[in-house]
Amino acid sequence: MTDLTYAQIDETVLNTLERPRPRYWVFVALMLCGVLLGAGAWAYQIFVGIGVGGQDIPVAWGTYLINFVFWVGIAHSGTLISAILHLFRAGWRNPIARAAETMTVFAVCCAGLFPFIHLGRAWQVYFMLPLPNQRLLWPNFLSPLMFDVVAISTYLTVSSLFWYTGLVPDLAVVRDRSTGLRHKIFRVLSLGWSGAHHQWLNYSRGYLFFAALATPLVISVHSVVSWDFALGVVPGWHTTIFAPYFVAGAIHSGLAMVLTLMIPLRRIFRYEAIITLNVLENVAKTMILTGLIVGLAYGTEYFIAWYSHNAVEWESFRWRAMGEYAYGLYFMILCNVLIPSLFLLKAVRRSVPWLFAISLAVNFGMWWERFVIIVGGVAHDFAPHAWGLYAPSLVEYCIMVGSFSLFFFLFLLFCKHMPSVSMTEMKETAHHAG
Amino acid sequence: MPAETCIMGLFKDDGKAAKVILDLPAAGFSFRRAHSPIPSHRILEALKLRKGRVGWFTLTGGIIGFFAGFALAIFTSVQWNLIVSGKPIVSLIPFFIVGFEFTILFSVFGNVIGLLVCSRLPDYGGLASYDPRCSGEHFGVLAACEAGREGELMDFFQKKGGEVKVFA
Repeated sequence: MTDLTYAQIDETVLNTLERPRPRYWVFVALMLCGVLLGAGAWAYQIFVGIGVGGQDIPVAWGTYLINFVFWVGIAHSGTLISAILHLFRAGWRNPIARAAETMTVFAVCCAGLFPFIHLGRAWQVYFMLPLPNQRLLWPNFLSPLMFDVVAISTYLTVSSLFWYTGLVPDLAVVRDRSTGLRHKIFRVLSLGWSGAHHQWLNYSRGYLFFAALATPLVISVHSVVSWDFALGVVPGWHTTIFAPYFVAGAIHSGLAMVLTLMIPLRRIFRYEAIITLNVLENVAKTMILTGLIVGLAYGTEYFIAWYSHNAVEWESFRWRAMGEYAYGLYFMILCNVLIPSLFLLKAVRRSVPWLFAISLAVNFGMWWERFVIIVGGVAHDFAPHAWGLYAPSLVEYCIMVGSFSLFFFLFLLFCKHMPSVSMTEMKETAHHAG
Repeated sequence: MPAETCIMGLFKDDGKAAKVILDLPAAGFSFRRAHSPIPSHRILEALKLRKGRVGWFTLTGGIIGFFAGFALAIFTSVQWNLIVSGKPIVSLIPFFIVGFEFTILFSVFGNVIGLLVCSRLPDYGGLASYDPRCSGEHFGVLAACEAGREGELMDFFQKKGGEVKVFA
């Protein structure tokens, strides 16, 4: 809850939109260099061919798919915070909802790039659109890859509309307190919003429906992503627990990214009175739950492999713990389950350096989880003569750096040009508290 | 029709704004609009407004989406009459995924259209009789009076503890 008045809330948030210092532009330029590096690497791949990446038989899905799943996962907690916690009337989500929604939109954009990149011939992406090809054949909706196209494009559209709808009343606040070009831009963007009673009546209703629709969508999207793997007859992939396992992991990684973004944002923009320690603590408490679910899923996978008496499945999991990529498994157990359980200690939950360090560890661990699942499955499947190893190439590393840079580049631009905290929702919090 | 003047009373409390809305008709003035920085249940209750109609648009979108998703998946499958892995050409279980995603997508489209239609957005013209303080910390009540009664309406708002803004 907040003790701030409406005017103080406006002032705190609007101060963040003041002309940035040169240091800000240095960071933006740095991120832009990363984006250009990634774009250059992708252009090189298009020019030379998909073979410049390290993906090869048997591991045809390398970092491109790892990063795709990673970014889709990051996108999930934004909707959890903005939609699910909104339905549960969890007031503590209000200060971080806007930044989390923004994170969702940018993370889905980053995720959406990887299928294009992995396609090699990116211009043939229209094969995945519901259009007939030259032989009048249509896409096959029995394929989990087509499920993915439908689910991710729906998620991007819905999360973007949800984000923009939430922004409209705040855009009007900026419009009313700006002059010149900024006023003109925000006048158009705010759609002439005036907070009239008939607007609020329908807005509140519409926002509730948005939240109610986004909730099942967010669960379906990562379930669909998990079925890209689970519907493939590959040891380590072909399991029914993948949908809940992936959804819990997605929310776990997304919450970690929320902390990674919120903690510097809170310090740089002096948001301490809005994004209070209690808010960060509540995120940490939620991460205890998601971390435990993820830990249970790791254990259950091993139990299923052992209990099934399936030699191939058991060998796959034995190799996962003792083979060439065993370090990935230990990274993921350590970073996703053991380290976040430190949040059980109140002192850790209320220490900003600890929160930040653990959030970075979970981001790292969740990336490795995707590596272990995606690479580990196909690198060591049924036939020993087909086993093989995989290492990302320089092009893949550059594209990966590019995707992370793109995410932070967009977020940096957003938080200095748009209200990064929802003033309206903070005022509602203050109103109910008062 | 006699000429009218619109005057807005600005209050720092939504309770006062709601009370003013209730008292306006008895004082002989007509209510036009209320503006607020947050959705105020007190104001909506004073106006005796029923729930918004956005939901009907959302529902319509959802129904269209549900059938559109299934129809697309079935149509594309029958164009390619090839049995894969022994699955029927029209397999309802995998097509449910497409139907589900389309249901959500079209519901959201319906929701957005409903929001725009019911809220009458974009409404750049409406800003002519709007005070920017209403997006900050004030709750505005816009009322109209006949020409010559402007002073009475201003007094009415001021007695209720509000500031006043007159629109030409």
